[in-house]
Amino acid sequence: MRIFVASLRKLVRRPASFVILGILIGLLSLILIAVAATASQPDAPPGQRAGLLLVTFPGAYTSILSFILGLGGLFAVIYGAAIAGSEWSWGTLKSAVARGESRSRYQLLSFAAIALMIGVGVLIAFGAGIVVAVIGANIAGVSTDGLSDAETLGTIPELLGRGWLATVEVGALGFAIATLARSQLAGIGAGIAFFFGEQFATIFLSDVVKYMPFNAANAVVATPGEGGFSDGGGGPVISSLEPNEALVVVVAWLVGSLLVATLFTERAEISG
Amino acid sequence: MTTDGLALATRGLQKRYGSRPALAGLDLSVPTGVVYGFLGPNGAGKTTTMRLLTGLIHPDAGSIEVLGRPFGRRDRHRLFEVGALIESPSFYPYLNGRENLRALAATGAPVSGARIEELLELVGLRDRAKDKVQTYSLGMKQRLGIAAALLSDPRLLLLDEPANGLDPAGIVAMRETLRHLASTGKTVFVSSHVLGEVQQLADVIGIIAAGRLVREGPIGELLHGEGEVRVRVAADQVEPARTILGGLATPDAVSDGADGDGWLAVRIGAGRAADVNRALAGAGIFASGLESGSDLESLFLELTQGDGSGGHEGTFFGVAGGSR
Ligand SMILES: Nc1ncnc2c1ncn2[C@@H]1O[C@H](COP(=O)(O)OP(=O)(O)OP(=O)(O)O)[C@@H](O)[C@H]1O
Ligand SMILES: [Mg+2]
Repeated sequence: MRIFVASLRKLVRRPASFVILGILIGLLSLILIAVAATASQPDAPPGQRAGLLLVTFPGAYTSILSFILGLGGLFAVIYGAAIAGSEWSWGTLKSAVARGESRSRYQLLSFAAIALMIGVGVLIAFGAGIVVAVIGANIAGVSTDGLSDAETLGTIPELLGRGWLATVEVGALGFAIATLARSQLAGIGAGIAFFFGEQFATIFLSDVVKYMPFNAANAVVATPGEGGFSDGGGGPVISSLEPNEALVVVVAWLVGSLLVATLFTERAEISG
Repeated sequence: MTTDGLALATRGLQKRYGSRPALAGLDLSVPTGVVYGFLGPNGAGKTTTMRLLTGLIHPDAGSIEVLGRPFGRRDRHRLFEVGALIESPSFYPYLNGRENLRALAATGAPVSGARIEELLELVGLRDRAKDKVQTYSLGMKQRLGIAAALLSDPRLLLLDEPANGLDPAGIVAMRETLRHLASTGKTVFVSSHVLGEVQQLADVIGIIAAGRLVREGPIGELLHGEGEVRVRVAADQVEPARTILGGLATPDAVSDGADGDGWLAVRIGAGRAADVNRALAGAGIFASGLESGSDLESLFLELTQGDGSGGHEGTFFGVAGGSR
């Protein structure tokens, strides 16, 4: 518990936490406002006018969330990698181990703190996204009556929960990759490469790729009939897992990543 | 070999990194309640030993005893009574000094908040405790590293080149702190390249080269037994003097002193400077200069140069050891 609290304190003080959240919210705001502004032009072609759906509630709730989770996946893998990698780069894991701390416990509790931070980050970004979408709706002159749509609001907690789990899963992936790489930079680089590699492979190998971490993460929160921002990374969505099937896959990746990170740390020779 | 009364003991300790041997059967015996100076050339295996003693890496062969009990993979709790600073101090650059100590205190043995303040005071960082570590100077980081090693008030303190980057006042303060710890029964195991510092600080020294112990014992005894005496005689008396000195020690113990013409150096107990003088005078040779060079530096250079077992030791920038 001491380690969990200390890890949380470290993350709260860490510039990366704010930078990543700031970029996420900034991008989200930029896109929502830009889409609302262009789509509401009287001479906008019908294709652009469809963009208004992004700021039209209640549908906007799920669009915002899928945007956050799509980009959040990339950010979470970077975040997880940065934190795990810096423990090796800075030698702080070494100091903890030399004090007699359990390597596994240290890693797992550090990750638990990351998971909590990701949850808080998703919530803050979601809240900010709603505020910006309301502003966008006003700019575009779209009604915001749907904000209080009871049916949609009822599904949001579950969607947020699933989205959190999915983001935590890719965070764990970054955590594991950087642990194996024992380096912050190499971990971040490999995490980003994984993200884009998977997006790219979707085009050719969707039957296999749907089980991969980022695709499974996206599928966990996919709502039938709604194409989010992130689905397929701009490519055609050929097939993806059913949300509940995806949940199982995501949990498997999460547990697997943590297991790999912990076992590797437990066995590692810390001689850097 | 008995290990009773030892704070730290290693027997036949071996470690390789890949195919490169770092330790080749190291036997250390560190008595309780002393400052032990752990010396060796670059690459001799000092840091490797420290890593093994703190469970960061694991030996290929041999055994370790920490505070009187075996120390293996499953004995991490033993480290609750050990404090260590290995190689360079490690901190979160974006946290301040105090926060870094707090973060570290959350691991291993519990530490009180008061202890952290006490240590910041001790290492002279109280005024800078609120500044981010990334703004610290080299010596300030080193001070914080020493504070971190002392967090749990350890019975055994392992310090890898702690004087690195410290200013003269910092070195004096550290020496006093370490001497004080030893006087309260704690054991301090410290590696250093600053031999003058070790000579002032340590009670016992161990010298390693190429992963093996080459000498170990109380510093006074070692220096007394292994010193060097240097004499200066007139140029035409160098050869007779060489013969006399060779008779006093052994012929190959005599060499031309590095100080210039007329100087001869003989490897002989430093306490025997008077014997050297008497022997020369008895033969009608009067020394115009006499020095006993029983310092740690000569001993170190003599013991660690060119034993050629694959380590990094040997002449460095062409400086030959043992004489000057
Ligand atoms: N992480 C590592 N990977 C591979 N080889 C290593 C590693 N660390 C040390 N070595 C090798 O092990 C040997 C002993 O190194 P070690 O760092 O223990 O020496 P040292 O006595 O601490 O030297 P120095 O006085 O320079 O600090 C050297 O040959 C070194 O090259
Ligand atoms: Mg070293």
